[in-house]
Amino acid sequence: MSLSPWVKQYAFYFDSNACSGCKACQAACKDKHDLPVDVLWRRVYEVTGGNWAKSGDVWVPGVFSYYLSMACHHCEKPICGEACPTNAIYKRQDGIVILDTQSCIGCRYCEWACPYGAMQFVESERLMTKCHFCYDYIDLDKPPACVAACPMRALDFGELADLQKKYGGTRVVFPLPEASITEPALLIKPHKDAARATKDTAEVANWEEI
Amino acid sequence: MPQKTPPRSQTGKRSKVAGFALKEWPLIGFTLLSQTAVGAFWMVTGASIYAEGANGWNSRYLTFPFLAAVVALMAAAAAISLFHLGRPRRAVLALNNLKQSWLSREILFALAFMASTGFLALLVFKKTYHPTLVRVLVGLGIAASILFLASMSKLYMLRTVPAWRGLYTPLSFFGSALLMGPLGAASSYDGLLDLGRKVRPFQDAAAVIALAVIVVILLTIFLFSPGVGLFGPKKATLLELPTAKMYPLLIIRLLFLLAAVLCSYLYYQNQNPRLLPLGFLGAGAAEVCGRYLFYAVYSRLGV
Repeated sequence: MSLSPWVKQYAFYFDSNACSGCKACQAACKDKHDLPVDVLWRRVYEVTGGNWAKSGDVWVPGVFSYYLSMACHHCEKPICGEACPTNAIYKRQDGIVILDTQSCIGCRYCEWACPYGAMQFVESERLMTKCHFCYDYIDLDKPPACVAACPMRALDFGELADLQKKYGGTRVVFPLPEASITEPALLIKPHKDAARATKDTAEVANWEEI
Repeated sequence: MPQKTPPRSQTGKRSKVAGFALKEWPLIGFTLLSQTAVGAFWMVTGASIYAEGANGWNSRYLTFPFLAAVVALMAAAAAISLFHLGRPRRAVLALNNLKQSWLSREILFALAFMASTGFLALLVFKKTYHPTLVRVLVGLGIAASILFLASMSKLYMLRTVPAWRGLYTPLSFFGSALLMGPLGAASSYDGLLDLGRKVRPFQDAAAVIALAVIVVILLTIFLFSPGVGLFGPKKATLLELPTAKMYPLLIIRLLFLLAAVLCSYLYYQNQNPRLLPLGFLGAGAAEVCGRYLFYAVYSRLGV
């Protein structure tokens, strides 16, 4: 992985309140990159939790659900790049984390390490692949396919510093790990019920789909 | 007629419990074979160091067949590990990230261990060695093998995999080396080593080391193993560690360890050398079970 400092850091922004879980982002990504079955560079996780509680004589619903649209977060400290033995994973000058498939040996060590499920093994090619922020579009000043496809405008992209000024947001929402592990270039506007996920029993409900 | 929904564990890419679907047999083979080679090297060089006072470094313990067997075992381990790779023909690229990747470093130290042991074997074969050169090569071999196992431990101790991050990982790897290496060397002394009148002390030492290491392994299991150990991680990620599914294999592992204990102890009592290979087989089977369980508890933070 190149240690040269990048001049800017592209990042994704995701508004969990706006997301309806339609998976247009996921489909647009899969379509643009012609990804095979079982490979998703962008995945929409459905988080559910809570329960019904008895209040007097009635049962009150306390359940909640929200979505997280997740791809590679092009981390400032990409643990995949630290793990990769072949230096196949590197950061561009704009902070985008690229995987050079010509150097990948398919050891899947990056897949073990990445806490965001970004590294995807393609069985037919016997090597890893990942979201590359549609850098071909970025170079043409076009938005990534997932951002362009979102009908709810829940996704946005830009330079991390600009997104922070524009939206604020957090980088840690259940079930994502501590941001200090990889410093993801990601900002999330948490769902109104996201705080409950940490104290109520919450889980990812759609493992079958992702 | 409504369709019955299959249980999530059968349909999801990630089941509700970790592991048990991992296809890590090449890694089980690589880690155990290479650890056996390292442990055997430590045992025999240890015996050489012990005998140094009388014979110096050109001790006859370091025979060509033994050193060649260590290199062959390492080569076999490396060959098996290629089955883990999607693109084995590009395996040489795995040395490209020595600056950051513990996997690169592991491979470097494995190669260094093989090279120093191979060169030593060549010198012994040609009988043209200088004692100082042998000392240097043995020292390099020991250093490289320790760094090899340390790198192997570090590469699994990922910040994102709590089940592998603890003491269990290095204790398991060094434990396997110190259990299977001495028992393997003592079992194969007839064909590989020229121990002369030191056969019995060598085998006694191997049996005692095996018994001591099994005690350490048992403590490691009951104290630190993920999902089961008193202080081991129980649920460190979204996924429950498959504790219930682990018990049958864990019991089988304990039975094999018991067999290794019995063989080593009975050897010590009766001095019947046939018991040592049986002990080695028991220890090997126990370590295969243990290593399978090690890979089965993989589950990472996040999603």
